[in-house]
Amino acid sequence: MSSTLFSSMKYSDSLTVVGISICTAIVCEAISWLLIYRTSSYKSLKSTIDKASKKLETMKTTDPSTATLVKKSKTKKIDRVESSLKESSRDLSMFKFKSGGVVALVLFVVFGLLNSLFEGKPVAKIPFVPIKLVQKMSHRGLSGDDMTDCSMAFLYFLCSISIRTNLQKFLGFSPPRGAAGAGLFPMPDPKSN
Amino acid sequence: MRERKSVKFNLQQQQQQEDQNGHLSPFKLAKLFDPDASWDKDQLGDVLHWIRQALALLCGLLWGAIPLVGGIWFLLFVVLSSGVIYGYYALILKIDEEEFGGHGALLQEGLFASVSLFLLAWILVYSLAHF
Repeated sequence: MSSTLFSSMKYSDSLTVVGISICTAIVCEAISWLLIYRTSSYKSLKSTIDKASKKLETMKTTDPSTATLVKKSKTKKIDRVESSLKESSRDLSMFKFKSGGVVALVLFVVFGLLNSLFEGKPVAKIPFVPIKLVQKMSHRGLSGDDMTDCSMAFLYFLCSISIRTNLQKFLGFSPPRGAAGAGLFPMPDPKSN
Repeated sequence: MRERKSVKFNLQQQQQQEDQNGHLSPFKLAKLFDPDASWDKDQLGDVLHWIRQALALLCGLLWGAIPLVGGIWFLLFVVLSSGVIYGYYALILKIDEEEFGGHGALLQEGLFASVSLFLLAWILVYSLAHF
């Protein structure tokens, strides 16, 4: 009965894309845990960054009554901690980059597989007409002028961002807030991809 | 006049040091609505993140089921979720945003992931339920 319901839905392929994305996210995080997160180097770097970030926040709390001489030495200390934080963040990025190649390969293979399965076929319907910039991805490989047709690439992109970011957050694998690069649009940790 | 509450980082660090077992105090649900609770930056960031994700999922499912069609509903979601987050930390928790990096830092917590999740839920429900 469930297979009949599944096959009767016009856009049932979207569920396949989501299902594969979920499995891929779990596999990628498992690989990342094996190669990155459980190592002592990663734990030590993360701890250093967390401590330096918190120390920096405390030091940046300014006291208006502080004498000029004390302020100058405090500024120097802040600069030292900031440099140390940047260096640790850079080391963390380099460390993850070296180990992230395997995960990148998995993602490449999965995307290739999905592409071969769903190329030229809309897998979902978008309930609005996306802006021109987004259409390049949302209508990628599709024929026709209906810009509300959703390509596999766009759906996979949405799955990747939402599922992997939240999975990393849930498992505690998100990059530390004090690390460089955690800006306005925090993506799933790219170095573990 | 809005009451502002500043977070005492030094006091929190002292409390952590005094803890015999070296563990943090258990995070209580009541703290989510307690304007007198003190917040760690990471804790607050995580709470705001998950509130945004829950809102995104709820709105996506709802928008897709009705269905609501048109780009205006996307903008409405962004405004609504930002408004809820702002209302939560400013009016319920009465947080001093300067202690946490300003309104920008608080409002962008989980924003990108929540927009993606909202779009994913909206598109999926709309496609599966109405075609």
